[in-house]
Amino acid sequence: MPAAISKAAAIVGAAEANEIGYSKTPKTSLQLHIEAIKNVSEQTGIPISRIDGVFSAGWSSELAEHLGLHPKYIDTTSVGGCSFEMHVHHALCAIHAGVIDVALVSHGESGWSARANRGRGTGGMRGAGDPWSPGNQMTMAYGFSGAPSNYSHAMTRHNYRYGTTPEDFANIAVVTRQWAGLNPRAVMHSKETHPEGGPISVETVQNSRMISWPLTLLHVCLVTDHGGAVLITSPEIARSLKTKPVWIAGAGENMSHSNMIEMGDFTATSAAASAAAAYKMAGMGPEDMEMAMIYDSFTVTAGITAEMLGLAPRGEGFRLWKDGHAAPGGRLPINTNGGGLSFNHSGMYGMQLLVEAYRQLSGTAEDGGFSGLPGKQTKARSCVVNGTGGSLSTTGTLVLVSD
Amino acid sequence: MPYDKPIPDPSPHTKPFWDGAKEGKLMLPRCTNCNRVHWYPRLICPFCHARELEWIEGSGEGRIHTFAVQHRAMGAWANETPFVTAYIDLNEGDRMATVLRGVDPNKPETIKIGAKVKVEFEPANEDVHIPFWRVVE
Repeated sequence: MPAAISKAAAIVGAAEANEIGYSKTPKTSLQLHIEAIKNVSEQTGIPISRIDGVFSAGWSSELAEHLGLHPKYIDTTSVGGCSFEMHVHHALCAIHAGVIDVALVSHGESGWSARANRGRGTGGMRGAGDPWSPGNQMTMAYGFSGAPSNYSHAMTRHNYRYGTTPEDFANIAVVTRQWAGLNPRAVMHSKETHPEGGPISVETVQNSRMISWPLTLLHVCLVTDHGGAVLITSPEIARSLKTKPVWIAGAGENMSHSNMIEMGDFTATSAAASAAAAYKMAGMGPEDMEMAMIYDSFTVTAGITAEMLGLAPRGEGFRLWKDGHAAPGGRLPINTNGGGLSFNHSGMYGMQLLVEAYRQLSGTAEDGGFSGLPGKQTKARSCVVNGTGGSLSTTGTLVLVSD
Repeated sequence: MPYDKPIPDPSPHTKPFWDGAKEGKLMLPRCTNCNRVHWYPRLICPFCHARELEWIEGSGEGRIHTFAVQHRAMGAWANETPFVTAYIDLNEGDRMATVLRGVDPNKPETIKIGAKVKVEFEPANEDVHIPFWRVVE
């Protein structure tokens, strides 16, 4: 049976910045935020002035000030790419408790512009590692350089424990590219959008440049610009709007570690716990999910998370892709926008998951979006959304359903 | 040639570890309440939350838990690619990160999870000797 808080709030709109991907002119993260916020306000008809809760990964006070808001609820949870799923969870709680009526969850991150124009863009996360942190001291000497250099260790362990292969996981990149082929907004949609775009095979993935063995380049997500925003309101307000509500039936969050040195099981994440909480709140289970949006920072992230969400047995998550179930026309569409692997990944991808889940469940996936370009609509009426942050560290899970 | 890769900055909290490293000893924090060794060094036992912690000299032995071969790296590590990073299960319990020695990064299939490793220390400067682990079987 669903908990009392289940469906106490709905996502009523989800929009992106005016330009995402590889921006033609350098964008700042703030600019990407503001464009998306303006767009979601216009989409829903909710004036920005009506927002009374601001949720973002580290930006909330600056955003509220920029917008001239005096919010009653300020949340800057910033624990990696899953922060946005957690923001939705927190907003659901705040609305259910009667503290606020309209929550803004916002994301702006010039991952591409920052790289292409040194110093001109700004990253999405705030704060730097303390060199005196004992965890940092005991890992900084060993040449780890960013997420790919860590996540590769999880693939090695999964291969060892379950007899899987990098080729098994390469299927995830292949199928995700098929979805990108149906979404003209995806960076890797076709040769027109990117010289390396268009369909790929397991061989293409395996023969791409080695980054961190066993991960080759095409096992790794993109680095792009993105801005996105969603608005969440009470059922009463949601019913009064021109947009369709997508109900937050369940939400949960958890973490297993921060520093990968503390990851107990390299083949599992806290998504098992965050999903259990979300399913319990919703009174639903993995068998009720008609699609899934799973953070695919790397192929191995998506494969392992599918297992954690109960969509496949342990050690067999990759089969959803390899056997075609997750592909266009399959029984359980996964990452219908083309994923972080082939659509867009700005550094923290949790907002992209939310925007696509809203588009699918509100039946607007084939609307133009920010650029006037349609995506591919599925028939799904329920979706499990899972963000993963840090080094397979933190997770936020949502169960979203349409009317 | 001077050591040109990132060098940890010992804090008062971790000084016993780095002092031991200079003498070739792998010092590990242990809780005197539950007797469990933990890594990295805490200000409170992560298992039982007692604050009565001591330093013991570890065996310097362990096994490979998992590994990866880095073909891209930043700073001076970029000059050493490909190299093999690993997480080591310590004989005393809990886990350490390292760069593996005694392995061929171009033949990852010859590197075995579960293989025995021993610690060795490389002087980075006068105060900091960095532990690395070598495959010994």
